Amino acid sequence: MKSSRSARLLHGLLLAALGLTFLLPLVWMVATSLQPEGKALGRGLFEFPDGPQWGNYPLAVEQMGSFGRQFFNTALLTVLSIAGQLFCCSLAGYAFARLRFRGRDGLFLLVLATMMLPPQVLAIPQFLLFRQLGLIDTFAPLLLPTVLGGAPFFIFLFRQYFLSLPRELDEAARMDGCGFFGTYWRVALPLAGPVVGSVAIFTFLATWNDFWAPLIYLNSEENQTLTLALASFQQSYRLAVEWLMAGTSLVLAPCVLVYFVFQRVFVRGVRLSAAKG
Amino acid sequence: MTARARALCLAAVFGCAAAVPATAQENEEVELQVLVHESWFAGYPFLLETARDFEAAHPGVRVRVISSAGAAGSVDKVKFMLAGKLPLDVIWIDVTEFAAFLQEDVLLDLQPWFDADPDWRPADYFAQVLAGMRGADGHLYGLPSTFTPYVMYANLSLLHAEGFARPPPDWTWNDLLRICRAVTRDADGDGRPEQYGISLTQWLQALVPWIWQNGGRLLDEHGRSALAEPAAVEAVDFLAGLLHREKVASDDATFANQLQFGLFQAGRAAFYGPVGYWETYRFQAIEDFEWDVLPLPRNKVAATSMAMRFYCVPRASERPQLAYEFVRALAADSMQRGLAQIGNGVPGLIRAAESEDFLKPVGAPESEQVFLDVLEHARFLPIHVNWREIEQVTKATLEDAILLGRVPAAEACAEAARLTDEILARDTSMRARPAVPAWAFPAAQLSGLAVVLLLVFRGLRRGARPRLAVREERAAWMFLAPWAAGLALFLLGPAAVAALLSFTEWSPVRDLGGARWMGFGQWQRLAEDGTFHDALRVTAVYALAAVPLQTALALGLALLVRRSFRGSGTLRTLFYLPTIVSPVVLGVLWRWLLTEDGGMVNRALAAAGVQGPDWLGAPAWVLPAFVLMGLWTIGAQMLVFLAGLQTVEPSLYEAARVDGASAWARFRHVTLPALGPLLLFNLVVGTIAAFQVFAQPLVMTQGGPGNESRFLALYMWEQGFRFLRMGYASTLAWVLFAVVFALTLVILRSSRRWVHYAGAGR
Repeated sequence: MKSSRSARLLHGLLLAALGLTFLLPLVWMVATSLQPEGKALGRGLFEFPDGPQWGNYPLAVEQMGSFGRQFFNTALLTVLSIAGQLFCCSLAGYAFARLRFRGRDGLFLLVLATMMLPPQVLAIPQFLLFRQLGLIDTFAPLLLPTVLGGAPFFIFLFRQYFLSLPRELDEAARMDGCGFFGTYWRVALPLAGPVVGSVAIFTFLATWNDFWAPLIYLNSEENQTLTLALASFQQSYRLAVEWLMAGTSLVLAPCVLVYFVFQRVFVRGVRLSAAKG
Repeated sequence: MTARARALCLAAVFGCAAAVPATAQENEEVELQVLVHESWFAGYPFLLETARDFEAAHPGVRVRVISSAGAAGSVDKVKFMLAGKLPLDVIWIDVTEFAAFLQEDVLLDLQPWFDADPDWRPADYFAQVLAGMRGADGHLYGLPSTFTPYVMYANLSLLHAEGFARPPPDWTWNDLLRICRAVTRDADGDGRPEQYGISLTQWLQALVPWIWQNGGRLLDEHGRSALAEPAAVEAVDFLAGLLHREKVASDDATFANQLQFGLFQAGRAAFYGPVGYWETYRFQAIEDFEWDVLPLPRNKVAATSMAMRFYCVPRASERPQLAYEFVRALAADSMQRGLAQIGNGVPGLIRAAESEDFLKPVGAPESEQVFLDVLEHARFLPIHVNWREIEQVTKATLEDAILLGRVPAAEACAEAARLTDEILARDTSMRARPAVPAWAFPAAQLSGLAVVLLLVFRGLRRGARPRLAVREERAAWMFLAPWAAGLALFLLGPAAVAALLSFTEWSPVRDLGGARWMGFGQWQRLAEDGTFHDALRVTAVYALAAVPLQTALALGLALLVRRSFRGSGTLRTLFYLPTIVSPVVLGVLWRWLLTEDGGMVNRALAAAGVQGPDWLGAPAWVLPAFVLMGLWTIGAQMLVFLAGLQTVEPSLYEAARVDGASAWARFRHVTLPALGPLLLFNLVVGTIAAFQVFAQPLVMTQGGPGNESRFLALYMWEQGFRFLRMGYASTLAWVLFAVVFALTLVILRSSRRWVHYAGAGR
């Protein structure tokens, strides 16, 4: 394609402007978090007559309560979710892709149908169930439903991916004496890197940012998560927007970091699954 | 270790990690579970001190202060803990929730303990305040933390500059109107004054004083709504007049704007109110002018309303005597004086309120005494009614007249009265309904398990098969076991329970034995429920506007960055970045970005010479604001398109170019058809997401103004967890599911005409 230099320049400028638009709110967030208490709203974006107030960050941490504990909880939940989802979903996906059993197509239809059940329908009865089981204020209600039954989309991704692998691989493994599980564990799963990567990142973002489930199920201070702590900020009228933004930036930082680090895996995984969807 | 054994170990380890309760502790000594105040709260040290003193005075007792830092409001949290049957001995609740808790019978009547206590002297506390904690029989259920009557804040410097002295304590509506007219300035004549008479607050506790002052009331002697009586209508009309006829009042003090730098703080309003003591904290930062508090202006009579939180004991407490004593300790001198010193509110203990701990000799406001002076004509809202839902309906309905001025006061009042009566009648009739049999809920839950077992058995039963096939089949079921267990327990069972609940009514602070059988009542109610209709409309309009726009923008961005060039990776990252922000954070962030004065969006518009709207306060703009926010989080859709674009055969473009097709024709006839399946995917996922918007309106607008941002999922949440109507909430949840399901079907059906799958390579 031939395009003149000025057209390309225009194209570049347009892109830069768009990119900035998407970035600006985050910039505003960080800039606001560095203003002194009560001053941000009267000022311009980068006006810092008193210098940036890095002290807002420790203050925000203090206001959120036990930040370390909340961070640990959120991280623990995230790690357990990722491990559980990867294992259960790849296992089910493999069975749907590779193992022959009666009722397979019907069951797979059921997987697709559960994709459409909105979480709101299930929230209340699940709450009742966990109350009956005495698991309120534990991490079980946050992990079990999503890990076990709640990830049809990921089962779908794994199935599509395993379908695309050549069958000869399985057969060779079987010759070497691998059982069904051995074939899945030693041959198929190691080849599923891209899907593993995107499922892991999707799960990371979803769990890290989850608000609804922790709000309903977690009560004790020692079980709080970061999004909950942030929501409590919002409820207090003795609140400086500057601290709020400092807290928000802190909670967001790990997400941004993880995304930057794993971006390539992620984009590749989405590309692969979309191409096969 | 065999592979299978390893798998079992993995599953076991994971299962255990999930099931271990994070709070498991055994203790020999008696433990008192206390949930009051948030831990970030400045008075927390006083609380801990009170707890330690209590432990010293009661050997063998340990006071466990459960911190509510992190819960979305400690008052909601109390509900969840009661619902979860977690042990609680001392809690605090908001006076507006007292009636609901009474009705559900979850609070302990403390009167016998007060009667048996030789040290108890009711005269130590303000009688008007204690009245807020008494049941219909006059029994006392708790003791006050702090309270506040509603008063008026005044910018004395502004008044002085305009030639007015500080209004006297017995000033009237006419005085208010006269001053407001005189100080309102709109020099550039754009209809948006630079200086207002009053910044008017409008939630129910703030509205009620005007009605009372005019001789009106909320409920009549038969317990029906009295909002349609002339005295109430006149008061509402007076307020609507201030905003829309006289144009001397600003509506900036809505919920969405409550936390921001308001007109009063900016020195642009002479008065601010009616509002409580808590604003004195925020206004400490004011340096540019002198301000103070005044009694509310009066009309036919003097009146004001009060806000309060109070300490009480759940009926389920196993140590009521100790709990009672701790309530006494919380409401005693040291804690009350401590709360007063840090400016938490007015102490209910008279000697603390009349001491210098509260009547601080230095610092604004000068006249803390006003809060005590107005007590003689201060009242709580009627407390024998479950107010939460009535409050929301009344607020949303009256906003049509006051905030928006689009409906005459008489009409809005009549509507609010009608809706209030409906709620009251429903509450009464509900209590007469039969109970749901105890086996019904477990049966529904188990039906999920039954369905899955049936599937498995059907699969295993038929015909003899070769050994290898049997082994493969058995392996398959092992592989599927975790998913099938989850399906049975957490998807199908709960879906059946939700279906059953939608035919009942049940409050989540009670056990299921309290559920009442409603038949099709809940489903019929859908037809009459105006709020539901509004929610459905709001959600549908949002989806209709947001989904196509999001899809188009995502496609546009994908086309822009499809080719690799320097910076293309960075750009993709930038476009994706907002998606990783949680909805709550997004809500918090955008609430500030969309602030009418000083928000970034409006500043940008102002730089372009456009006067930005009151995004979250104006009914016409609140949905566009949400659509705008939605456009910012299209990263995932863009990535999907991007992935699709990279699978388009370059040879197709080549061929099209050889045929002389224009850029548009190439897009229309090559790109778009290739993206068909992905377009479909994005539309379906986007529609589902649009119908599940919940956290942003909760954090940003609470559904206002009126019902203009009351999304279906938010309304469902309010019914279930705010108004404690789980049955109706389940009905709404099923409606939500049905709508999404139907829409998905429609999209899939119609897609046959415009989506073509390339080849049969499936």
